[in-house]
Amino acid sequence: MNNKSILAFSLTALAIVLTGCGSPGTPGTPDKVTPVAVKEAPTGATAKGEIEEVAFKGGYGIDFYQKAAEEFATKNPGLKVTVTGDPRVWEQLRPRFVGDTPPDLCFPGWGMDHWALVAEGQLLALDDALKSKPFAGDGTWGDTFEPSLLALGQQDGHQYILPYYFNVMGWWYDPGVFARNSWTVPKTFDDLLKLGDQIRAKGIAPITYQGKYPYYMIDGMLLPWAFDVGGADAVKAAQNLEPGAWKSSALLQAAKMIKQLQDKGFFQKGATAMSHTESQTEFLQGHAAMIPCGTWLSSEMKNVMPAGAKMEFMLPPSVAGGKGDASNVIIGIEPWMIPAKAKNPEGAVALFKYMTSLDKAKQFVEQKSTLMAIKGSDSAKLPDALKTPAKVFKESKAVWSVQYRQWYPAFETEIENALTSMLNGEATPEQFCDRVESGAEKVRQDSSITKHKVTG
Amino acid sequence: MQRKGRTAFIVAFLSPAVFIYALFVIWPLLQSFVLSFYRWRGVSQQKTFVGAENYRKLAVDDVFWQALRNNLALLVGVGFLAIVLGVVIAHAMQGGGRLSKMLRGVYLFPQAISLVVVSILWMFLYNPSFGLLTTGLKAVGLERYDHAWLGEPKTALPAVGTAFLWYIAGFYIMLFAAGLRAIPEEVNEAVALEGALGMKKFWTITWPMLWSIKRIAVVYVVINVMNVFALVYLMTQGGPDRKTEVMLTYLYEQAFKNSQFGYATALAVANFLVAMGLSALLMFVFRRDPQEARA
Repeated sequence: MNNKSILAFSLTALAIVLTGCGSPGTPGTPDKVTPVAVKEAPTGATAKGEIEEVAFKGGYGIDFYQKAAEEFATKNPGLKVTVTGDPRVWEQLRPRFVGDTPPDLCFPGWGMDHWALVAEGQLLALDDALKSKPFAGDGTWGDTFEPSLLALGQQDGHQYILPYYFNVMGWWYDPGVFARNSWTVPKTFDDLLKLGDQIRAKGIAPITYQGKYPYYMIDGMLLPWAFDVGGADAVKAAQNLEPGAWKSSALLQAAKMIKQLQDKGFFQKGATAMSHTESQTEFLQGHAAMIPCGTWLSSEMKNVMPAGAKMEFMLPPSVAGGKGDASNVIIGIEPWMIPAKAKNPEGAVALFKYMTSLDKAKQFVEQKSTLMAIKGSDSAKLPDALKTPAKVFKESKAVWSVQYRQWYPAFETEIENALTSMLNGEATPEQFCDRVESGAEKVRQDSSITKHKVTG
Repeated sequence: MQRKGRTAFIVAFLSPAVFIYALFVIWPLLQSFVLSFYRWRGVSQQKTFVGAENYRKLAVDDVFWQALRNNLALLVGVGFLAIVLGVVIAHAMQGGGRLSKMLRGVYLFPQAISLVVVSILWMFLYNPSFGLLTTGLKAVGLERYDHAWLGEPKTALPAVGTAFLWYIAGFYIMLFAAGLRAIPEEVNEAVALEGALGMKKFWTITWPMLWSIKRIAVVYVVINVMNVFALVYLMTQGGPDRKTEVMLTYLYEQAFKNSQFGYATALAVANFLVAMGLSALLMFVFRRDPQEARA
C-alpha cells in the first residue's frame, strides 16, 4: 500500500465508525438483561453413552478426575468417559460455549467468568438433581455437601454451580522460626503490632504479600478486618453494593489498619512488585515471618520448600472489641457445572455424583492435600498443613466467602488498583474507600450488569 | 492477446494470496468493526445491538485514556531511543574493528529470543529481592537508589519500556545497517575527498540519505508500540494501578476478565485507528525523499 491508499483506507474506516456513531434509530441503552428460562438438569439415575469432562489442570492436575472417570466407566458397562484438561482451559471452553458444543461436565477454572454463563442461560439448574439420591447412602445428594459451600453456587433460588474442593483463607507462619525466637502467634491486631516490632528487631520483615495480585491482601486483611470491626452485616452490605457500604467505618478502619502496618514498616520491602510465588518463596526462605494466603499454599510451594521449613495456618489477627465474631473465616470454592447444551447431562450428573461420593472425596483430600466440600471428608488423613484450617473451618461461628469478586470482575480490579495505590503512598485510607465506593456506584448505575445478593 | 495473457497470469498468481488475506485479515477486521456496536459477553451467541454505546463509554473511560497515554509515552520514549540506537549502533557496526565485529555478532540476539523469555529475564533483573539491579546497587553502596522497579508508580513504565527497547532495538539496527550499506560508495569517497568527516559528514550526507529508512522505521515503531501486549502483560499486567496499562492489555482485561467483548472490540477499533492515523501522519511528515526531490 502506498501513502495515499493507507490514508484513504484509514479515512474510510474512520467514516464507518463515525457514521455508526451518528446513525439515527440506534436503540441506545437496552434495558436489563432479560432473565433466562431455568432449565433443570436430570437426576443422573443412569449413565449411558459418552460423557465428556473438561477440567482446569492446575496444581492438583486432572489425574484424579481421569481415574475416577475410569472407575465409573467400569461400573457402568458401555459407558465411555473422556477427561481432558489444560492450565488455561477456560480459553478453550469459551468458544465451545459460544459454538453450542460444550462438554457435559466442566470445571472451567479461575479464568472463566462463570456468572456470565449463568446470566446467559448456559448452565443447567441442579435443584432436582440435588434432591435426588446420592451415589451412596441415604438422603439426598444435596445433603452430602457442606450447606455453606453449596450456597455459594446459587442464584435466584437455583443451584447452578457445585463446589468440589475448597480453600480456607488465612495467614501462614513457620512454627519453627516462631519457637526459636520465642514469638507467640498474634491473636489480635494489638498483639500483631507488638510482635511486629520484635520481628523487625531481628532484621526480618514481619509480613510479606503478593503485591502483584492484591486480592490476597483483600481476603487476608481488608475484608476479615472489616468483618471483625463491623460484623457480618458490614461485609454483606459491601458485597451487596449497598450505597455507602464500601466507605463505612468498618471498611475505613480496615484500610487504616493496613496503612498502619505499612507506616510501621511491617511489610517486606519490594513486596509491592512481587508475584505470589516470589513473595511465598521469600516467606519460606525466612525473609518474612508471615504471609496471607489460602490453603493451596502447601501444595503450590512444595517443590521449593527449603529443608527444615514448616508452615502453619493462623486466622488473621482479629480486632479486639469489634462487632464481628473473631472466629470468622473466609473460604472459597472451585466451581463445577453442567452446560445447558450438554449432550449427556444425565451421565454428567451421575458421574459427578460418583466424584463427590464420600469415598472419592476422602481420597481427594489425602492425595491432593486440600479440603473437600463433602461432609465428613475431613475424617480422612489430613496432611499437616491442613489440620489447623480444617479445625478452624469446623469450629468457626461465621464461615463466609468473598463473592462480589466473581460477580463484578471490573469492580474487583478497581478495588485491587485502589489498594495498590494506597500501598504506594498515592492515596490515604479515606481516598481508598472513596474510590472503591465510586466504583461500586458505577456498578449500581450500570443496568447491563446482573446484580447479585449474598444469601443467608 | 499477449497483454490479456499477462493480466490472467498476474491474477492467477495474486488471487490465492488476496483470498487468504481477505479471509483471515480483512474479514475479521470488518467483523470486529461490526461487533463493536454490540454488547456481547463472549460466552454464548446472544448479542445485543447497542449502537454507539461502546464508543460513548470509551470516550469517558479514564483507563482507556491512561492506556493510550502510556502507549504514546512508550512511542515517544522507546520509539525515539530505538531509532537513535538503531542509527548509532548501525554506524558503529560499519567499520572493521573488533567492536564492530562484536556488535555484528550480537545485535540481533534479543530478537531471536522468545518474548516470553525476554519478559522473564527482565523480571529477574528487576526482582526486588535478588534482582541484578537491586543487588548491584547494594554492592556499590547505592542502595538508596533502589526501587521495587516494576511495583512503584514512578519506575514501572520506564522499567517496562527499557525491557521493550532492549527487545526491539535489534530490528532498527538491522534496518539502518541496511540503509547505510545502500549509500553508494562514490558518495562516501567524494565526501572524504572534500574533507567532510565525523559529525559533519553524518549530518550533511548520511542522515539525509537515510530518508526512506527513517520513514519505514517510524511506521514500524508505531506498529510495534501500539501492538505491545505480551511483554507488559507478563511483566506487570498493567500495574501498579494502571501505571503500565497499554491499549491491548486493557482490551484483554475487558474481553477475557470482564466478559465485555463488544467493548473490547471497540477498544481494538480505537487502537487500529490510532495506529493507522499515526502511521499515515508520520508517512506524510516523512514523505519527502530528497534524492527524488532533486531528480
